[in-house]
Amino acid sequence: MKISKQALREARELFRTCQVNGLLDESRVRQALALLSEKKPRGYMEILGRLHRLVKLDLERRMVKVESATPLPPDMQNDVAGQIKKKYGNGMNISFTQNPALIGGLRIQAGSDLYDGSVKTRLEKLEESFENA
Amino acid sequence: MSNLLQEIEAQISGAKAAVAKQNVGVVREIGDGVAKIEGLTDTMLNEMLDFGNGITGIALNLEETEVGAIILGDYTAIKEGSEVRTTGKLLQVPVGKGLLGRVVNALGQPIDGKGPIKSDTSYPVEKIAPGIVRRKSVSQPVQTGIMAIDAMIPIGRGQRELIIGDRSTGKTTIGVDTMINQARINKAAEAAGDKDFRPIYNIYVAIGQKQSNIARVLNVLEEAGAMPYTIIVVAAASDSATNQYLVPFAGAAIGEWFMDNGMDALIIYDDLSKHAVAYRQVSLVLKRPSGREAYPGDVFYLHSRLLERSARVSEYYGNGSLTALPIVETQAGDVSAYIPTNVISITDGQIYLETDLFYQGIRPAISVGLSVSRVGSAAQIKAMKQVAGRIKGDLAQFRELAAFAQFGSDLDAKTQALLERGKRIVELFKQNQYNPMPIEAQAAILWTVQNNFLDDVPVEKIKDFQAKLMDYLKTRRADLLKKILTEKAISDGIAADLKAALNEFKPTYH
Repeated sequence: MKISKQALREARELFRTCQVNGLLDESRVRQALALLSEKKPRGYMEILGRLHRLVKLDLERRMVKVESATPLPPDMQNDVAGQIKKKYGNGMNISFTQNPALIGGLRIQAGSDLYDGSVKTRLEKLEESFENA
Repeated sequence: MSNLLQEIEAQISGAKAAVAKQNVGVVREIGDGVAKIEGLTDTMLNEMLDFGNGITGIALNLEETEVGAIILGDYTAIKEGSEVRTTGKLLQVPVGKGLLGRVVNALGQPIDGKGPIKSDTSYPVEKIAPGIVRRKSVSQPVQTGIMAIDAMIPIGRGQRELIIGDRSTGKTTIGVDTMINQARINKAAEAAGDKDFRPIYNIYVAIGQKQSNIARVLNVLEEAGAMPYTIIVVAAASDSATNQYLVPFAGAAIGEWFMDNGMDALIIYDDLSKHAVAYRQVSLVLKRPSGREAYPGDVFYLHSRLLERSARVSEYYGNGSLTALPIVETQAGDVSAYIPTNVISITDGQIYLETDLFYQGIRPAISVGLSVSRVGSAAQIKAMKQVAGRIKGDLAQFRELAAFAQFGSDLDAKTQALLERGKRIVELFKQNQYNPMPIEAQAAILWTVQNNFLDDVPVEKIKDFQAKLMDYLKTRRADLLKKILTEKAISDGIAADLKAALNEFKPTYH
C-alpha cells in the first residue's frame, strides 16, 4: 500500500510518544488508538496501518523464543531467562517451546539475533563441511 | 598411558561448544531479483546475505522497518517467509594469475568448463580507489596497435580512455585489437628474454552482451593467441540485472590485484550503457527515487567510483597500473545524452567513432576532431612524437579544406599539397580489424609520409605501397625496425638509414 509521507511521519511520532524509557507502553498505545478513532485526522487509516506495523515489529523485536528438544526443567528455564535479561534488559517476552526436530541443545532467537546450539544445526554444518571438502 | 587419558579428558572438559551469534530475518516480499526482508537488525550496507540452498544476496537498501536486497542466482527458489542470515562478509571474487586464460562470471566462478580456478586470494568487489598519495601521473604508453590511436590519441598506463560511438561502428574491435597487441608485445618480450619488460594483462568485462558476441570475442582472442594473458568476466544479456550491475566491479577487483602487486593491467568494460540500464532496473525494483531518463540519482557515482579505481600507482607503492577502456554506445551519434556525458566527464579523453566514416570505408572510423586524450601524450614514445606531432593538426586542416575545396577548382599549390597530404594520411590510417601494427612499423611509415616519400604515390595505391614497404622493411631491414624500437626515437642515424631504405625500395615499387 502506498502511504503518504505525512502519515509515515505522524505514525512514527505517535509510536515514539507511546514509548516510556525505550519500552512500548500498552496503555499509551490504547490511548493513542482511542484518540485516533475519535478525532479521525487526515489519513488516519494510513497512520493506523503504519502504527500497526511498527508495533508488530517492536513486539517481534522483543520476543525471545527458546526452543529445545525436550521440555526444560524450571531451574534451567530460570537460568536461561536470567541470562537473556542480563543481555537484553527488561521488557523481553520469553517463551519456551518444544521442538523434537532439534534432537538436542538449545535454539534461542531474540528479535533477529539467533543463537543456534542445536544438534540438528551442528550436524548440518558438519554435512556442509564434508560437501565443501 | 594414564597421563594420556587424563590429557584427553582435560581436553574434553575444556572444549566448549561455541555457539556463534547470528542475525536473521524473514523474507516478506520477493520478485524481480529483489527481496524485502524484515528483521536483520545488524546487517551492514553491501553485506552478503545467506538465503540458504547456496543462494546469496546483497543488502542494498537499509530502511526503517526492512532491508532491500538483490539476489545473486536463482531467486525463484526463495519463498516468502524463508529465513535469511547475515554473513558478516562483503562480496568477494577470487583474484590472481590463476584466472588468466579463463572465462568467469560476476562472482569469479569459472564458466568455461576448464575446471576450478586456482586462487588463494580474494578481493572485495567494492573497494575504495587509490588516493592522491599513492598515485602518479601517467607516463608509460599502452600501445593499441591501431595507428590512428597510437599517433593521435595516445593512451598511457593508468589512463581511462572512453571508446564511444553508435552501434556497430567498431567499438569492441578497438578493445579486442588492443588486447591482441598486448599479447603480441608480451610474447615478443618473453621470447627476447627482456628482464625490464612489464607485461600488460587484459581483462575483458562483457556487460549485458549477447552470448554469441562473447563467444566471437573469445574465439578471436584464442586464434590470436591472446588468451594466456587475458581474463574474460561475463554477465551476458541472459544473466540477471544484479549480475550485470556487479560484473564491472568484479572485473575491476581482478584488475586491482595486478595493480596492487606492481603489475600492469588493461580492463575493457563492454559496455557501460548496458551497465547503467541494469543498474536502473535494480534501482527501480528497489523503489529508489528515479531521476533523469529514470536513472537513479547515483548513476554518476556508480561510474565514477568504478573508473576511479583505474590508476597509475607510484613506485613507492609498487609501480603498478590499471588502464581502463570503457565503451559507451550512443543513439544516433548523440554524445550529449545522459550516460555518455557522464562518462566523458569522468574519463581522461575519448575515442569517438562515427557511422559516416565507417560506411565511407574509413575503418577504424575514428573522428579526429572529437577524439582527445587528455593525459596520454606524456606517455607517447619519442619516435612517435617526432613523426606524429603534426599529424592531428594536418588532418584537422585537411577536413576543413576538403569541405571548402568541393566548391572551388582553382586552388593554390600550398592548399593542393595540404589536401593531397591529408588524403594520404587518411588512407594510411585505414587498418584491418584484429591486425595490430607494431609501434616501430607505425613510426617508420609515418616518417615516410612526413618526409614526402608518399607524395608521388597515387592515393588508391597507398595501402598497397604501405604493405609492400612493410614487407620490405621486415624482411630486408629488420635491424632498422629493431633499432627504432630499442632507441625509442628517430635519431639522425636512423633517419639517414630510413632515407636510404626508402630510396632503395621506391624504384622497385610498381
